[in-house]
Amino acid sequence: MTVANIEVLTRDPETIEIAITGEIDLSNADVVRDDIFAAIGNHLVTVRLNLAGVTYLDSAGLRILFSLAERLRLLQADCQILAPEGSTSRRVVELAGLDTLARILP
Amino acid sequence: MPSSVEPADIADRLRRIEAVTDNALAELELEQLLAELLARVKELLGADTATVLLVDSGGHHLVASASSGMEEEVRQGVRVPVGEGFAGRIAASRTPMVIQQVDSTTVVNPLLWEKGVRSLAGVPLVAGGDMVGVLHVGTFDPTPFSERDVEFLQVVGDRVALATHTRLTRTERAAAAALQRTLLPAKLPQIAGLELSSRYVPGEAGGASGDWYDVFTLPSGWLCVTVGDVVGRGLAAATIMSRVRTATRSYALDSGEPTAVLSKLDAHIRHFEPQTMTTIAYAVLEPSLERMHISLAGHLSPVLALPDRKAELLDVPIDPPIGVGSAPLQRRSATIDLPEGATVLFYTDGLVERRDRGLDEGLRLLCDTVTTDSTERLCSTVMSRMVGSDPTDDDIAVLAIRKRLTDELRTLELELDAVPEVLADVRAALRRWLPTTGATAEETADLLVAVGEACSNVIEHAYGPLGGKINLRFEAEEPEVVVTVADTGRWRQARGAHRGRGTALMRQLSDNVTFEHTAGGTLVRIRKTLSGEPA
Repeated sequence: MTVANIEVLTRDPETIEIAITGEIDLSNADVVRDDIFAAIGNHLVTVRLNLAGVTYLDSAGLRILFSLAERLRLLQADCQILAPEGSTSRRVVELAGLDTLARILP
Repeated sequence: MPSSVEPADIADRLRRIEAVTDNALAELELEQLLAELLARVKELLGADTATVLLVDSGGHHLVASASSGMEEEVRQGVRVPVGEGFAGRIAASRTPMVIQQVDSTTVVNPLLWEKGVRSLAGVPLVAGGDMVGVLHVGTFDPTPFSERDVEFLQVVGDRVALATHTRLTRTERAAAAALQRTLLPAKLPQIAGLELSSRYVPGEAGGASGDWYDVFTLPSGWLCVTVGDVVGRGLAAATIMSRVRTATRSYALDSGEPTAVLSKLDAHIRHFEPQTMTTIAYAVLEPSLERMHISLAGHLSPVLALPDRKAELLDVPIDPPIGVGSAPLQRRSATIDLPEGATVLFYTDGLVERRDRGLDEGLRLLCDTVTTDSTERLCSTVMSRMVGSDPTDDDIAVLAIRKRLTDELRTLELELDAVPEVLADVRAALRRWLPTTGATAEETADLLVAVGEACSNVIEHAYGPLGGKINLRFEAEEPEVVVTVADTGRWRQARGAHRGRGTALMRQLSDNVTFEHTAGGTLVRIRKTLSGEPA
């Protein structure tokens, strides 16, 4: 069974940081996406997704990140993806070219 | 009204009863048999009602099971406590009884007086020393049943008891066997790096009983192995076993430590199954398969065989069984290293206990028999040497696990259902296997995603609603690793937005990816050359 945990850290009324830990694949991607989207309000200016604790990410997870980045662009909010250098998620995120839509932070 | 029975009639009447209990009707189901018998008894004694109540599984109640003239008793599920009322007192005293006063002071079941029964005669049904139930007849006429009527009724009762007992035993054995069949894993899980085999044999005397084995992976990637024995025989033990097994699985899901799982299970069993005793060997293997953590609750210690070493019983303290005595304050566990080739044989006492052989002798013989041979052969050898052609009283469960040698792991094959839930299993298998090929942490991470994408493709695109299988083959061909992902379906186009990234990722994360679409399915081959510098 694939398990991911989503923790929401709200810094101030305009910024939200969502920390994801665990693994994301086809079996839990829908749940993870719904949890992330539900946490994001309309008034936010910056959304930061912290992937430091993600130990597996493939195209099922990328689908979430891309659709999130696209939604946020429509809402004119800043989308930041925190994926430390050398981490599992960093490599996949870079290979997929997500940096064209979101800011990748080390 | 009761017709008095003349001795000359008795032989004739018995013949008519025998006709029911004997050959011609031997194949009747219990319900049909009782219905037929009761109709004849009622007619032969000139009675208005004839009813059989059978003792329920707990032994504390009689339950109306068949009736002629009082069918509503059966439909309403009439229950009479043993020791109370007319039928209850017959069951408790195991002696026949006749009454002429039928009211709330003498019988438990109001249907009898409401219906107008005025006179009752009943006999106990005893077979093989076991109390099976009560047979009673009643009339709307107050004339009492004669002593001869009761004698006749008892003769009939003995035959009913025997026929019922035989059929119940047969039914129970079949039910216990069916329960065992549904509960034992139909197929042991495929764990990359492990070889697993098992045997289950019902006892010849008691039939299928309370032994079980179970192997399953936990969401955390740990592998759980249990072998246990609910003390007791037949269907009763088998049904309790099914609950104990389920409870064990539940606690395994939310607790990592074997001692914690067994303590919770103990509290559970003491509360819900207070009259039972269960022995269990509970073990979990780390995802790396390097170590096993094990705790024993009154269970015989499994045997450990290592390459080039004589097998011996695992050095694990044995704590009290589940469900008896005072709960131990702190259960104990041991950690066992599992080097390549290590083989652990779990078993229940039926394997080693024989009437003509001491337990120590049985255990010695078992240790002499266990080797690091392939587990299928090992199980056969163990059953052949320990059981041979002797009839076994008790049921036997045996489960062997063996850690494969690196050499055997150069090629690894897995067949999995094409459902999203197996993706975690695929990663667990790769995480165990790739380090044995010398892959670095980065190479492992890359291949996890590449293979994960190929499997996700099969799950999403290869099959219709009926589903199908994914066949995986991992091969180490220095300096290359080749993973083949095959299906037997026909791919359809991806639907929805943000699709098609998977194939790009597969190509980016490996050195070569090929797709072979044929009429029989699709084969994806992923190759990656390893740097040869393991982390």
